[in-house]
Amino acid sequence: MPSASELPAAPRHRLGGLFRAVAILAVAAAVLSFPSWAPNPYILSAGVVVLNYAVLSTSWNFVGGFTGYISLGHGALAGLGGYATGLLVVRAGLPSFVALAAATLLVAAFAVPVGYAALRVRGASFVIVSIALVLILLLVFQSWASFTGGSRGLVVPRPFPGLLRPEHHRVFFYLFAALLAVALLVWWLVDRSRFGLGLKAIREDEDKAESLGTPTFGYKLVVFVVSAGFTGLAGGLYALWFGDLDPVFQFSILTGSYLVLMALLGGVRQLFGPLVGALVVGIGLEYFKVEFGNTPLHLAATGLLLALVVMFMPDGVLPALGALVDRFLRPAQSSIREVTAAELRDRGSGPPEGDRPADPPASVPVGAPDGRSAEERS
Amino acid sequence: MTGQPSGPPGPATSGTGSPATTGAGSPATTGPTSPVAGGTGSPPTSGTGSLATSGLTKAFGGVTALDAATVEFRHGQVNALIGPNGSGKTTFFNCVTGMIRPDSGRTSYRGADITRRSPHAIARAGIGRTFQLCRVFPRMSALDNVLAAARPDGFWSQLRGARRRVELDRARGWLTRLGIEHLADVEARNMSWGQQKLLELAGVLMSGPETVLLDEPAGGVNPALLDRIGALVRELNAEGRTFVIVEHNMDLVMSISDHVVVFDRGRPIAEGPPAVIRSDERVLGAYLGV
Ligand SMILES: Nc1ncnc2c1ncn2[C@@H]1O[C@H](COP(=O)(O)OP(=O)(O)OP(=O)(O)O)[C@@H](O)[C@H]1O
Ligand SMILES: [Mg+2]
Repeated sequence: MPSASELPAAPRHRLGGLFRAVAILAVAAAVLSFPSWAPNPYILSAGVVVLNYAVLSTSWNFVGGFTGYISLGHGALAGLGGYATGLLVVRAGLPSFVALAAATLLVAAFAVPVGYAALRVRGASFVIVSIALVLILLLVFQSWASFTGGSRGLVVPRPFPGLLRPEHHRVFFYLFAALLAVALLVWWLVDRSRFGLGLKAIREDEDKAESLGTPTFGYKLVVFVVSAGFTGLAGGLYALWFGDLDPVFQFSILTGSYLVLMALLGGVRQLFGPLVGALVVGIGLEYFKVEFGNTPLHLAATGLLLALVVMFMPDGVLPALGALVDRFLRPAQSSIREVTAAELRDRGSGPPEGDRPADPPASVPVGAPDGRSAEERS
Repeated sequence: MTGQPSGPPGPATSGTGSPATTGAGSPATTGPTSPVAGGTGSPPTSGTGSLATSGLTKAFGGVTALDAATVEFRHGQVNALIGPNGSGKTTFFNCVTGMIRPDSGRTSYRGADITRRSPHAIARAGIGRTFQLCRVFPRMSALDNVLAAARPDGFWSQLRGARRRVELDRARGWLTRLGIEHLADVEARNMSWGQQKLLELAGVLMSGPETVLLDEPAGGVNPALLDRIGALVRELNAEGRTFVIVEHNMDLVMSISDHVVVFDRGRPIAEGPPAVIRSDERVLGAYLGV
C-alpha cells in the first residue's frame, strides 16, 4: 500500500489543493456537528436517511465509478442486507451487531453468483439484469411470508432498547458517518492501486484491457463483491435503525435509481462525488417530502434535476466545480503539460509532435482501400 | 506490507533509489531498453516455430473469414502477414489472441495449445497486440495508459499503489523511447492519431510481450513516423522480440520483414522471404490485381 517509493498523481495547483482541503474539512465538520444543531428529532432522522444514501451511493460507486457498469440493483442488495440482519435477529436470536456482520458476509457471498452471471453482459443488458435481481428478490420476499413476514413487513428489535428516540437517531447518525468514512477510505485506496487502474481500464475499453493481460472478469467480480458487502452492511444498519422492513421499499428499483442519480450528479470519478450527490438529492428528496407530502411531485423534481445535470455538467457537479475553481485560480496558462492538444490547436499551433491533430481525419485511409499499396510501390 | 513476496525480480542490484537512465539494467523481461528474456531461459533460435495455427476456421454468417488457415510464424523474426482487404488478417489476429473463438482449428504458442484460453491468459503467455483501429484508454493520461498495461504478479500486489517508482520509470521509459514523453499528462483522447498509435504501442510493450502482433502500424501515419516505426520494430526485434505485422504498405513490409505470409480468402497462399514474395505470381494475381 502507500510506501515511500510512490509519487503523487500529478502536480496540483497549491491553492486548488488548499481549497479542496478546506471544503472537505467544512463538509466533515458540518456533518459531524449536525446532531447538535439539528432543530428536532425529525430533522435528525432525515439526516440519518441522507447519510444512509451517501454510504449506499459511495458503495455503488465501487462498481459504477471504477468499471462503468451501471447497476440499478444495488437497492435490492441493501434490502437483502436489511432483511438478513432482521431475520438473523428475529429468527435466529443473534445479537444485533453480530447479525449485522453475518448479514454483510451473506450479501457479499450472494454477490458472487449474482456477479458471476450478471457481469458477463455489458451496457444496457447489465442494467436489465440488475433490474431483474430487484424484481426476483421482491417476489421472493413478498411471497415467502411464513419466513420473511411478507407484505405485512418485519419488525426488527432495536439494538439499544433503553435509548430515547433522539438519542437513538444520534447514535445511528454517527454509526452511518463512521461507515461512510470507511467506505470512502477503501474507495480511495482502490482508486490509487494497480487494481483500481485495471478497473478504470475496464471502464475505458474492456476488450483492450483484457488484451493487455488484465483478468477483467475477475477484477469486476472482486469489486462487485466489495461493493455488495458495503451495500449490504449499510442496508443492515438501516434495518437496525428503522426497525421495520417492508419488501416494497426494501426491494425497489427507485432506491437503486436514486443511488445512480446521486453518483452521476456528484461525479462518479470523484471520491466525494456520490457523497455530494447524496447530500443534494437526499436533502432535496426529504425537503420535497415535507413540502409536498409523498406525491409523485418530488420524483418529477428529481428527474428534472438529473436532466439539467446531464445537460450542463455531464461529468457531475464536482468536476464542474473543480474546473470553475481552476479557471479562477490560474488565468494564464503557461505550462505545456497542462495544455491539451485540442487547446493547442485552438491557439493556432500544432501539437508538439507535428502530427495531424485530433482524430483520424476522414481522408486518411485507416483500413487501406484496395490497390493503395500498389500505388505506393510505384 | 511485509517486503515483496512475489513481485518480479526487483532491481536490487542496480540500486532502488533513482535509476539515472530509465530501463538501463532494469529487471529481466520488460525494460524499455532491455532485451527480452526468453520464456524458458534458452535464447530463441531463429526459424523455429513459435506461433502456429492449424486448420483455423471462422465464418461470420455466410462469410468465411478464415478458411482452414494453417500458418507458422518464426520465433525471433519479423514476420509480415499481407493480403487483400477482407482476406481475414484481422480475424486471424482476433482468433489467435482469443478475442474471437474460432469455429474449428487450433493455435499453439511455443509448444502449448492456447486455442481456448481467454485473451488475458494469452496476453500473459507473451502475445501482445495492437488494433487496426488503434485502441487506447481515451480518458486516461498517456502515462496512465502505459501504467495500466503493467502486469503485476500475484494477487496481493494488485493492492499496491499504481504509481510506484519502478513502474513509473518503466512507463516513462517507454514513452521516451516512442518519442511521446512530453505528452505524459495529456489525455489520450486529446492526442493526434499518430500519437495515439505510438501510445498504443508503448502500452503493449509495457505489458512485456515476447511476441507482438501489429495490425496495420502504418495506417494513417505520415512518412516520417512510418520510418520511425519501422526502425523501432527492427530495434525491438534485435532485442529478442518476435513480430507479426499486418500491413498494406509494401515498402514498409519489404524493408523490415524477414518472412512474409500472404493471405487470400482466409488462407495462406504463399510464404517466403520478401524478395521471393515480391515476384510470386500468385501473390501478384491475388493481391496486386495484376
Ligand atoms: N465481426 C464480424 N462480423 C461479421 N463479419 C466480419 C467480422 N469481422 C470480419 N468479418 C468479415 O470477415 C472478412 C475478413 O475480415 P478481416 O477484417 O479479417 O479482413 P482483413 O484482412 O483484416 O482486411 P483489411 O485489410 O481490410 O483490414 C470480411 O469479409 C469481413 O467482412
Ligand atoms: Mg484488418
